Amino acid sequence: MIKAALIFNNHGKPRLTKFFTYYTEEMQQQIIRETFLLLSKREDSVCNFLEGGTLIGGSDFRLVYRHYATLYFVFCVDSSESELGILDLIQVFVETLDRCFENVCELDLIFHMDKVHYILQEIVMGGMVVETNQTEILTHIEAQQRIEKQEAGIFKPSGRMGGAPARALSAAKSMAPNVNLPKLADLQNISLPSFKKL
Amino acid sequence: MPRTGDSMRGLAVFIADIRNCKSREQEKKRINKELANIRSKFKGDKQLDGYQKKKYVCKLLFIFLLGNDVDFGHMEAVDLLASNKYTEKQIGYLFISVMMHHSNDLYKLVIQAIKNDLSSKDPVHICLALTCIANIGTPEMAEEIGDEVPKILTSPDTLHGVKKCAALCLLRLFELKSDKFIHAELSSRLIALLSDQHLGVVTSACSLIQALVTANTVEYKGCVSLAVSRLSRIVSSTDLKDYMYYFIAAPWLSVKLLRLLQSYGQPTDSAVYERLKESLETILNRATDPPKSKKIQHTNAKNAVLFEAINLIIHYDSDAALMVRSCNLLGGFLNSKETNLRYLALESLTKLAVSDFSRKAVMKHQETVVQALKNERDLSVRQRAVDLLYAMCDRDQAEEIVGELLAYLEKADYSIREELVLKIAILAEKFAQDYKWYVDVVLNLIRIAGDYIADEVWYRVTQIVINRDDIQAYAAKTVFEALQAPTCHENMVKVGAYILGEFGNLIAGDERSGPIVQFKLLHSMFHLCSNQTKYILLSTYIKLINLFPEIKGDIEEVLGNDNQLRNSDAEIQQRAMEYTKLSQIASSDLLATVLEEMPQFTERESSLLAKLKKKSNTLVKERDDGDNTSLQNGSSPVEVERGLPSRPPPPEVNLVELNVELSSAPVDVGGSSLLDLESPSGTAEIPEPALESGTPQDSPVLNNYSAPPAAVAAAPPAPAAEPSLLDMFGGAPPATDPTKVQVVTGLIECNEAAQPNFKAFICSRNNGILFENEIIQIGVKSEFTGFEGKLQVFYGNKSPLPLQGFNTTLFISPKDQPSLRLEGQKVTLLISAGAQIPQTIKATAVAAFGETPLLQISFSAAGTAHTMVLRLPLLVNKFCKGTGMGAQDFFMRWKNLNLPAQECQKVFKASRPMDNDLVKGKVQGFGFQVLEGVDPKPDNLVGAGIIVCEGSQVGCLLRLEPSKPAQMYRMTVRSSREGVPELLVNLLSQDL
Repeated sequence: MIKAALIFNNHGKPRLTKFFTYYTEEMQQQIIRETFLLLSKREDSVCNFLEGGTLIGGSDFRLVYRHYATLYFVFCVDSSESELGILDLIQVFVETLDRCFENVCELDLIFHMDKVHYILQEIVMGGMVVETNQTEILTHIEAQQRIEKQEAGIFKPSGRMGGAPARALSAAKSMAPNVNLPKLADLQNISLPSFKKL
Repeated sequence: MPRTGDSMRGLAVFIADIRNCKSREQEKKRINKELANIRSKFKGDKQLDGYQKKKYVCKLLFIFLLGNDVDFGHMEAVDLLASNKYTEKQIGYLFISVMMHHSNDLYKLVIQAIKNDLSSKDPVHICLALTCIANIGTPEMAEEIGDEVPKILTSPDTLHGVKKCAALCLLRLFELKSDKFIHAELSSRLIALLSDQHLGVVTSACSLIQALVTANTVEYKGCVSLAVSRLSRIVSSTDLKDYMYYFIAAPWLSVKLLRLLQSYGQPTDSAVYERLKESLETILNRATDPPKSKKIQHTNAKNAVLFEAINLIIHYDSDAALMVRSCNLLGGFLNSKETNLRYLALESLTKLAVSDFSRKAVMKHQETVVQALKNERDLSVRQRAVDLLYAMCDRDQAEEIVGELLAYLEKADYSIREELVLKIAILAEKFAQDYKWYVDVVLNLIRIAGDYIADEVWYRVTQIVINRDDIQAYAAKTVFEALQAPTCHENMVKVGAYILGEFGNLIAGDERSGPIVQFKLLHSMFHLCSNQTKYILLSTYIKLINLFPEIKGDIEEVLGNDNQLRNSDAEIQQRAMEYTKLSQIASSDLLATVLEEMPQFTERESSLLAKLKKKSNTLVKERDDGDNTSLQNGSSPVEVERGLPSRPPPPEVNLVELNVELSSAPVDVGGSSLLDLESPSGTAEIPEPALESGTPQDSPVLNNYSAPPAAVAAAPPAPAAEPSLLDMFGGAPPATDPTKVQVVTGLIECNEAAQPNFKAFICSRNNGILFENEIIQIGVKSEFTGFEGKLQVFYGNKSPLPLQGFNTTLFISPKDQPSLRLEGQKVTLLISAGAQIPQTIKATAVAAFGETPLLQISFSAAGTAHTMVLRLPLLVNKFCKGTGMGAQDFFMRWKNLNLPAQECQKVFKASRPMDNDLVKGKVQGFGFQVLEGVDPKPDNLVGAGIIVCEGSQVGCLLRLEPSKPAQMYRMTVRSSREGVPELLVNLLSQDL
């Protein structure tokens, strides 16, 4: 079972936290902090699994993570999951994000937190994997967005997110698998006008 | 307010604001402002529309993500659930699954909303509701919605997208309320999902079935063949369309199926197994194929399946060829560039190392693993290498592997040192062929990693030295040399103090380590040590007085020094004071008795193993299991072979006794302080060793002693913690001799059914089998002379495993407490496979006793605790001696015994054919002399006997009148002692 899916950046700022077992809010924050401390001192060449921190359950649990540019994607899993399988899953998750947001970057996750949650929901539900097939996941997301647009009464693509799935689908097979997330430094001073362009 | 579809402008502004904040305070301020704003909006008079609610809820989510408490907005989120707009519903569900937990009052409303959505026609709404349950299900939900979900899941009309959600939803509900979802009809339909066309559904169903299988293995057995055929189809296909992931067919599902198969043993149906084996072989074959893509994802997915296949092969542990192949593949990964692969390969090899099939194949990689230990940059990989070395270590490799581990210890990460120390100590002890080597290794451990030595490690080395005469001199010499080093860890001082105190005399012949040299060396450390160590040193000093009377003066000076006598620490004061007095007052003989050499420690499960287990290392458990298998295979483990203390220690038995003794005695010398001392590391971990190691041997010890809880609790953690003090008290005339079997006055339940043949012991039989099952055979031989009886109980181990923690206790009924006295030798703790050990029990009849004493036997075999309570054939009639007399004499005596209490009569049905000679034989065997020609009726039987007790003799007369037509007897017994007639009638009537 997947106990938690966490995304935080190189500074430990959470960008997505989803716990599939109940922890108090305070505990959640502590777990995020602990996980960040455990991961941040690891070099990129070392292996992608490690024993979980004490807060989340110690050595019965493994943290499986990938570090993409500015972001850490961390899944905390119990012994019933295959580590390499989870790595694949993270890859599917990131690739899906990349297709939905077109070259996903940290900012996308910040401003579309709800969308990120929905995408994760298509992949992991209640701590278990629902779907690993990207095409299927994207079809679902696309369907959701159609409804969304209908409900908002606007049918032309209104933002990056809106136009993304269609393009993503067409480009799906040719997509580069390794997402290159822009460096945080580039985005530090984002101001509204540039955001409006989105 | 301008609305731009899904992108909520207000939210974006707020997020941008937060991101522009220069400081934490500024951010906090902005958040508080926003919270206040949202709160006022929610409370305001103006009705909010769905969009606004959605926006605010989204903001709250963001605020929450940043680590701030959000304590409102739940109501608004619940309102959103009821919206008929999908997006609003969606955000409502999101908020609830992220922020709400089931203590919330609004939960009823949530359940209602979920119910509504489940019955909706729109599949996306159903999915939302199902997802919500899967994420945050509660028992109430299981109760209220539980029936709905299986219907959705198994209905043929359900879309596969919904089915996937329903399967995982059901999984959560099952975890909450398992009994609700176990019935045969459902299980067959769920198993059928494994053949669903849609692989996504199969994936979810696999997770669901995996969980159900653990609760109901038998009912779901059908899933094995379906899983095998599904797996086989996936493995053999090259094009699964969307489920090809970087050229690998459905890797996720394959892994899931392989996991599911690990819930069961190897399929018994040979066709199914052949099919599975084919798939496994294909997976192994592919591992060496050239990669179809250079992408890391390709190899990753391929190996994910491969590792899981190997796990299944290890799980079956039956096919040598597959296991050896797995070993070789994994060995190849040890040199891979991918750290992940090296890590996983080491981990899988650790599992393979404990199987007899693959052990040898794993050994081939020892060199590479040692290299990994030296060169690997990643700590967690190094740790796996340590685990593997620990698992693959055997007697031949022990010296080399321990050497490598010791070398690694010097530079190992601090966080793993303690565990590493434990592992080295265990290996050294387990595989030592020469105990000098063992002593060297442990002293090396203390030298290299003194700070990381758990107390158990140094307790253990002292125990082993005490138990083995042949290394005592060597240990004393080595530790003496170690203490001479310029810097010396305090743990070394502890070991040194203890060993020199016991065996310093063995090296005193050499001038360089003469008595005074030893003492001065130890005392030179005294001021540097903690109080704990000082206590031990003081005890060592008094022992040195005993060993070397010639330096008594020097030592008394130290003991009597004000630094000790007026030390701020009460314990130091007390010890110094008591030891000074002891040395001054006691004669050298008394001193020698009090300070006698420590008796050998009894053997139990190693406290080290227990400690390592406590470090929650599953590998250790596997390792242990591995040992058991090797045992079963007949290669007896080292510890049994040499009777060596690998399953050892602590002298808890003695301790408990002592503590009971001390705490109940008025002497307040040691009572409380002893207890305090013995738990130097704090009370928190006290009960753990016993519980943790699960040693069933512990319980009988604790149960048998009706010791005050405090004393019992203090006992376990103190193996040799305070050996010296103990030693001293242990040497004093003990109230309970540890070599004697425990005799308890008390009641205990006895399982009569276990001894169907016990009746045979009443008359005639003195020898025979008391009890027998597949593990143990208990026989008894007895002899009675006068008021004394001698019983020899033989315990034979019929199992192929040793019986450990063997302990026996005798129970005398409180009613018989003064009437019967029992005394016996204690039995050894361990009975090796096939061995038989005797136990002698002496019985003294003080007066006529009523109940048979009970024998409680407890031991553990193959990890299971056994306790049995048996009746001992120690009956009052065994002390009865027949006596002859004439008819006149008999009737005169009979008439004299005319008080009601002096007679007992019983009419009962015959339980066997009423043959005169047989009955006569029984009565004679019972202890009466049959008097011929007394009773005019020839069938009637008359007897007389005397029960011989210590200090009194009880005469008994018997009259037995059989009535053949009715198949009945009338038995009358008269006796001079009240109560005795009943006893005899009850006994004898049982066997006629």
